[in-house]
Amino acid sequence: MASKKSIKSALESMMFVWGEPLDVKTAADVFNMNRQEIYDCFLELQKEYEQEGRGIVIREVNKAFQFVTREENADYIERLCTPVKARRLSQSALEVLAIVAYKQPVTKGEIEAIRGIKCDRVMDGLIKKELVCEKGRSDAVGRPILYGTTDAFLKNFGFSSLKELPPIDDLEGVMAADVEVEVEKDSDGNPIMEGQMKIEI
Amino acid sequence: MSYKVRLQSFEGPFDLLVYLIENAEMSIYDIRISEITSQYLAYIRTMQEMDVYVGSEFMVLASALIEIKSKMILPRVVDPGDGSVVEEDPRSELVARLLEYKKFKNAAEMLQEKEERCSHIYAKPQEDISAYLEQPDEYLSLDLRQFAGAFNLFLQKKQKVDSVRRHYTRIERERARMEERISYIASMVRKSLGQVFSFREFIRDKKDRYDVVVTFMSLLEMAKNRIVQVDQASTYGDIQVSAGQNVDGTVSLDMPGMTDFADFAEAAEAAEGVKTQKGKGQEGELYGQ
Repeated sequence: MASKKSIKSALESMMFVWGEPLDVKTAADVFNMNRQEIYDCFLELQKEYEQEGRGIVIREVNKAFQFVTREENADYIERLCTPVKARRLSQSALEVLAIVAYKQPVTKGEIEAIRGIKCDRVMDGLIKKELVCEKGRSDAVGRPILYGTTDAFLKNFGFSSLKELPPIDDLEGVMAADVEVEVEKDSDGNPIMEGQMKIEI
Repeated sequence: MSYKVRLQSFEGPFDLLVYLIENAEMSIYDIRISEITSQYLAYIRTMQEMDVYVGSEFMVLASALIEIKSKMILPRVVDPGDGSVVEEDPRSELVARLLEYKKFKNAAEMLQEKEERCSHIYAKPQEDISAYLEQPDEYLSLDLRQFAGAFNLFLQKKQKVDSVRRHYTRIERERARMEERISYIASMVRKSLGQVFSFREFIRDKKDRYDVVVTFMSLLEMAKNRIVQVDQASTYGDIQVSAGQNVDGTVSLDMPGMTDFADFAEAAEAAEGVKTQKGKGQEGELYGQ
């Protein structure tokens, strides 16, 4: 069996040629080795690049790895060649995308219930941008289409996998803390008004 | 009461409501319904005055707010025991929905930040790697014995093909014969007596060596029988043909040796054909093994 060092060296060369994210499965087939071993090698290589502070870093997108530039060097690249800026997503698109990302697989109806507004056009836009795709159909009445996010979503938003999405409860925590302050104020002696909601935390 | 409104920024009724609540520095768990409802309705009214289409979704929430407001006016049923409110707060459903919405609004903000950060990271687009994908030249890696074997096989195959060829011959369209050529030349000469023809005029297909040979042979034969008179000014020069003394005579080809010439012409052709075939065989067939 090839040594770990030589495998990492080979992976480096393969990523260089491949350009697009190189699938762990594809790479494992090349070495005829266990996927987990190759995955570990990728991670080690990624760490090495990170530690050495190279201008090229390795990005993981859903168990696939790719060479990308270091974020801090963006200024220099932009000065060098003014790359085309992708148009930012609109606020509503981001909201819909967030709901899809966290609640997938999810139907349009569920998204609309959360936002209180129709989302057909926004969804079409997201599908066109290949950030969202159909993931089958729900068993509910009318068998509505279920939507989920794509690898392009992970790539564009810098997540190596869906597991990397920050837990939404943390986001909620911001509000919970907010409320705590309110509650303390009340307990400081302000009379609780009739009809005011009591919050148990 | 004043609020700044950037019209495009409200992505839906909840977005507007969240904005109003936060702008009024209210806790989302303790919405002052009356205040918010009037602000909300004022916003919709402004929209209508400006003749901007207000989505029905905004109206739905407006009616929900009014409903909650009216419920809030009703006296509360208080549990006589511990004094807690038995009835559910009319706002609780709205609060739950607002919280759910805010959760994803925050997530959207997080995504926006992420997107912004990722826009500073560049990846190379997949390059054209067809140069590495193309089928490489195939090399026959054979040792001497294998190579000799392959050559032997080729020879055997050639022998087989030859033996088949010996038994069967290709039949081709009958080509010009001397008799025909003689009668053709004779008719030409007889038609315009006294005219001097060039040898080349009698060759139909100038590129065909067989045709040249047949024409030449015919001329010789006719000259022998004095049907034509043949002159050549210099070696390799043009042969001039004119009517001979015995111009109306006939030529009998049944003389011994005549057919030999025709055979000769054909043999010369066949020899040429074999030569080219051999060349092809060496290139193609050995490789095919």
